[in-house]
Amino acid sequence: MNDVTVHIALFLAVSAAIVLCGAFYSEPDDQKAFKLLPKRFLWFVGGCLILLAVVLLIEHTVASVS
Amino acid sequence: MSWSASNVQEPRGDATIASWLGWIVPGAGHLYVGAPVVAACAFLAVFGLLLLGIRLSDGMVFQFLDADLRGPIAGALTPEVGNVSGLVYYMKMHGFGAALPRPWPEHIHLGSWLMAASGMLNVVFAVHAAALARLPKNVVTKGFAPASHVLAGWFVPGLGHFMQGRRARGTIVFVMLVGLFLLGTWLAQGSNLDRERHFYYWSGQFLAGAPVMILEALHGHALVTGDIEYADAGLVFGCLAGLLNILCLLDVHAFGLRRLIDTTDTEHAARIETSGITA
Repeated sequence: MNDVTVHIALFLAVSAAIVLCGAFYSEPDDQKAFKLLPKRFLWFVGGCLILLAVVLLIEHTVASVS
Repeated sequence: MSWSASNVQEPRGDATIASWLGWIVPGAGHLYVGAPVVAACAFLAVFGLLLLGIRLSDGMVFQFLDADLRGPIAGALTPEVGNVSGLVYYMKMHGFGAALPRPWPEHIHLGSWLMAASGMLNVVFAVHAAALARLPKNVVTKGFAPASHVLAGWFVPGLGHFMQGRRARGTIVFVMLVGLFLLGTWLAQGSNLDRERHFYYWSGQFLAGAPVMILEALHGHALVTGDIEYADAGLVFGCLAGLLNILCLLDVHAFGLRRLIDTTDTEHAARIETSGITA
């Protein structure tokens, strides 16, 4: 596996743990918590992608050192 | 004799005050809610662990911290902050050590674990004091739930849920958090299992309890002889497993507290009804 694939796999693994614990914390009922998982996971990954885009944009504009 | 509903429902005290007092001085929260015996036990257990840890480590645990990270609030991100007076005592008596270097004592890592565990134990006692404060004055509780479930959930992630009867949730939490910690340890090739090397990351992963303790006893403190490609990712994963366990412990606490209050309310309603009939 190349480096990017490993990073993406690790990110998805840690995202799953974060989202699962977050869902369990916010919803006491197991069934409801499981139903919430896909939506919460997409929100989390989507939010991280937006953050990534912002960081890359800043890196190539105001924080560029080249 | 009949009981008025207002007397029965009057709580022992303010839960926030009880938890703050217990956090600052072990047992003070229990004294506030009128449980002096538990207060004495809490004080002795928490300070006993702390002093044993200090003795075994010769008061050198905080010398693990890099010199440029040392400061008056450096202890705020350590598990020892769970016992504020203990942390203040430690900083006054030992701090970051003398200027002259000394070799680490033989059992410094065991001492470090005991010191950290004393902080966690005090948090559990503070949780118990806060739960007692919410209950009516004339209620005698059976057992230490939800504080005992919080302690179990720290020691083995998911065990608190399991003890509450939420077995599926407990199993998933265990697999997820212990799996995350093991993955992190594998990525870091065990270099994360050392408070001396990673003082603050260790504080995070300490919150995942016994799995960390066992693995550190078996494979911790190894020499790092080469470059570890994913060492940083491993450190973050191990630390995150511990921090996510706190989220799970909050879930255990909230569920247990709700159940305790509901049970107490039901028992009191039955007692009022019974006493009304007797009168």
